[in-house]
Amino acid sequence: MRNAMITDIAYYLPERVVTNDDLSQEFPDWDPHKIENKVGIRERRYAKEGETAGDLAVKASELLFERVDRQKIDFLILCTQSPDYFLPTTACVLQDKLSLRNDIGALDFNLGCSGFVYGLAIAKGLIATGVANQILLVMAETYSKHMHPTDRSNRTIFGDGAAASLIAASETNGIRDFVLGTDGSGFDKLIVKNGGFRCKFDASASKSSEDGVGKPTDNNIYMDGPAVFNFTIDKIPALFNNVLEKNQLESDDVDLVIFHQANKYILNYLRKKIGIPPEKFYINMVEKGNTVSATIPIALKDAMNEGLLKSGQKVLICGFGVGLSWGGTVIEV
Amino acid sequence: MKKTEFFEHLLEALEPEEEISLDQDTDLREVEEYDSLTVLSIIAMTDEHFGVTLSAQDFKEITTVQSLMDLIGADQFE
Repeated sequence: MRNAMITDIAYYLPERVVTNDDLSQEFPDWDPHKIENKVGIRERRYAKEGETAGDLAVKASELLFERVDRQKIDFLILCTQSPDYFLPTTACVLQDKLSLRNDIGALDFNLGCSGFVYGLAIAKGLIATGVANQILLVMAETYSKHMHPTDRSNRTIFGDGAAASLIAASETNGIRDFVLGTDGSGFDKLIVKNGGFRCKFDASASKSSEDGVGKPTDNNIYMDGPAVFNFTIDKIPALFNNVLEKNQLESDDVDLVIFHQANKYILNYLRKKIGIPPEKFYINMVEKGNTVSATIPIALKDAMNEGLLKSGQKVLICGFGVGLSWGGTVIEV
Repeated sequence: MKKTEFFEHLLEALEPEEEISLDQDTDLREVEEYDSLTVLSIIAMTDEHFGVTLSAQDFKEITTVQSLMDLIGADQFE
């Protein structure tokens, strides 16, 4: 079987910065310092009106192409839950905007916070079977478009962003074995209900039935915070241990652990529950927020830039969230 | 767990800005800090100390500290 590895990552955050101070001006009960202490976020970026996930994907990919030859890309995979159109697939539009070759495959897949792990699993499979050699894997998300302006909880947590990774055939087995999981019974715990064909967009939708601060409607993103937190408490410690076991590793064999950057409070709770030492557990969201599928590649890139990760080291990554969906693997950088 | 110990854990979760005291009859909905952030801490606290998972529905039913203790289970307290 042919091996694959992540050979490069670039990311792009939109220019519009929303700080905790900005949020507390809109929501006077929201204490900016308290938010930062608790969720580990001081500011997040939102895309401008008219700036789409596809646009962020182009920016991130062009940054990658400063070091990578675009003519070598022979497959493009994009993960988003805020696509430019119902159809065509955003990845097809990107093929042209990025001036990629015509003799390549391009497709989108729709996942959130688990997306990067699933993208790696797909890419690894395409390389192992000889379908592709150099895959551009892009995570691009603009949850801000789904959020109601008065939804202070989600506006605090989520930020927009895109990360472009190159997954290439390699000597090194840089993407190890996967543990994946799905529980569709929790589909409504994190959802944008209206706008598809089961529940069409409703311009006159009133406040959704769920209680809470603000007036989000079923046209907006809804997150049942307690349910999603309970799901992570239930699934993620086992996921971590199963990923180690599947790869025949002990936790000491792993140099760094990067979880989906959900929020600092949840991450620290999981870290303590699993028993991961803080120096091996990377938290990276103070100036970005939770950028959904892009958090893990962004954190990988920053950890490398900060010198926390060196070539040949092993990172255990876990993604988890909307679906409900989760997955983990070990990568060698 | 002793009730006084539970009240201390609950206070830690709420992180009140001004000093407040809690007892069974305190109405949590009237505590200024009781919001979507502190709810996370209460979930973590009940998971850590009681192995009890509280749902969003549970939080809709919580009024007083006593009602939270009822959800955790009366047999958990001395």
